[in-house]
Amino acid sequence: MNSDQISISLDLINRHYQEPNRNRFESRYFWEELYSLISASGLRAIEIPYEPVWQFGGRSGVPMNRYCINTKYESAASYRTELGKHGIDRVAGVTFDPNLFMRNDNLDFFFGASGHFAGEAVAHAADLGADYFAISPSPYYGRAAHYHPDLETKRATFVDRQTDALRSLAEKAAASGVTLVLRNEYWSLFRCEDILPLLDALPDGVKLDIDTASLTIAGVDPAAFIAAHQDRIGCVHLTDTNFVDTNETWKTANPEFPEHRATQVFRDPGTGGVDLPGIVALLDRQGYAGPVVFSARQTRDPFRALLRIRALLNQLSN
Amino acid sequence: MPNIRYANMSHWKAIPYRQIDNFREFYYEDKTNSAYYSDWDTILKYQSALGFPGIEIAPWDLADILPLFGSPENFTSFAKDRGIEVIGMFHGAHASHAADHFDEAVRAGREAVDTIVKFGGQYMNTCPTENYCGTGPLSREEVQQCAKAMNEIGRYATDHGVKLGLHNEFFCAINIENHRELIELTDPRLVHYCIDTAQIAIMGEDLLTFYNDYNDRISIFHLKDTASQRQPDSVRYARDPEITDDGTRWFWEPGLGELDLKGLYHALKQYGFKGWMSIEYDGSPDLLASMALTRYYLDNELRPIYD
Repeated sequence: MNSDQISISLDLINRHYQEPNRNRFESRYFWEELYSLISASGLRAIEIPYEPVWQFGGRSGVPMNRYCINTKYESAASYRTELGKHGIDRVAGVTFDPNLFMRNDNLDFFFGASGHFAGEAVAHAADLGADYFAISPSPYYGRAAHYHPDLETKRATFVDRQTDALRSLAEKAAASGVTLVLRNEYWSLFRCEDILPLLDALPDGVKLDIDTASLTIAGVDPAAFIAAHQDRIGCVHLTDTNFVDTNETWKTANPEFPEHRATQVFRDPGTGGVDLPGIVALLDRQGYAGPVVFSARQTRDPFRALLRIRALLNQLSN
Repeated sequence: MPNIRYANMSHWKAIPYRQIDNFREFYYEDKTNSAYYSDWDTILKYQSALGFPGIEIAPWDLADILPLFGSPENFTSFAKDRGIEVIGMFHGAHASHAADHFDEAVRAGREAVDTIVKFGGQYMNTCPTENYCGTGPLSREEVQQCAKAMNEIGRYATDHGVKLGLHNEFFCAINIENHRELIELTDPRLVHYCIDTAQIAIMGEDLLTFYNDYNDRISIFHLKDTASQRQPDSVRYARDPEITDDGTRWFWEPGLGELDLKGLYHALKQYGFKGWMSIEYDGSPDLLASMALTRYYLDNELRPIYD
């Protein structure tokens, strides 16, 4: 695999959860040093998790949305120039999940707010020159169920409304030259094969985003899934895990933090049980030439994770 | 019973677990200190051990806390089992200066009061309106409108056993030029004041003078230090003033800045203040270390003056 094809997600940085020294993550200086360290690790493209929350409350040092970028750099073009100074050639993609907006029992609020900000995120992705926009088509199942105890009876309505919203988003993405891909998280209303009918209902240009750890946690062999759906894949996230979901953690309100047995669900790439070299080799054999992204979400030490990814990349190169 | 009880304003970021039962196993996964900052059980034990029996909830944490605990009452019960009581919640009264937003501002304020009551709290420390940038300068009519909204929310709060305390940030549209005007326009029976010692000093108030002038309005304190008093308009009115690009901190643990906190404690003694002192650690790289440093300073420097 051509390593220029590989990017790293800025979800490497734990923006939301408590840990010592977390306060650094809200200042601009931290990120600009990080870009240089990513580049020094041999990765020259990044993925940005689009997070509207940083727009509120004076936290625009976190470069995760258009408002923040415009506040600190005036424009996406200037931000890209700044990235270039630190050795980052491009923004490969932008991700978006709607969990922030699942906060009450009002589905109109959820679809209104998540639709608005997803649209803004697509436009931002285009401004950044990104190849893809990866959207999570649902909030955490358990969070939705907390605010909507009758979620299962509302499922058809939810699916219809989300399908309509994604059609609209797909049009916008296509017009902007960005590929819309659907994430397939283990905690989703559309987990595992449930993502496929949703994909079928959308324009052909919309593709699947493979997340190797998420598939594994959901009990699906990622290699088999990739082989079965190779023509529909538009992005691959190389994530790792050792987690076995024996208690339906995927249905809980905070599924990345299993409530009965604390564990780091997503391990640093190369330190879990997913056969990432095997996945990369499979993608090579299939002639896959789309985006490939390393994600070390939930890492307990981002700089260690960065070097662990480098070590894994060295292994892949050999 | 001491005159002053101590709480922490919760500046912990999202705490993902209620309680970790497999602590050793969790630690060994990657042998870092993540396990020490990942559950409310441990966090509340830190507070209890260091002598902070109160916690003030941050509204931006509700979306995490409520699904985690199921309800405000469950969180309160969980905290109480560890010796901690919920004393209140911060509230941002967005756009309360705008006449056409009055109903919405009051509705949101009442909702916040209802939430505090469910948590068993008594204080709603309320930022009166938006940041200065994009909103200020406010006209006299807009300040009056802000006061009208505060009075209306304060009436509902009072009726429900909650004290609304104005809490001014140094970058708020209510700023040094109209800060006291707003206080004077509000009804002292319904609207109180939460002195954030660092915020008002950065804004340009002299801490001791302000307390001397308004001691009868004070419902509670947010205690923190600063080495950045009386910042210029260019800082206070900036688009993104709270978190600096270069990591400069506005706020420090009591005793690590330049405020005359011993003078404040002499004034507290003079006026016989009785109530909660809620410590804030925003900007700290290590909230547990800040909590311990604060406890040392309280016990050795401030409490000997007035307890």
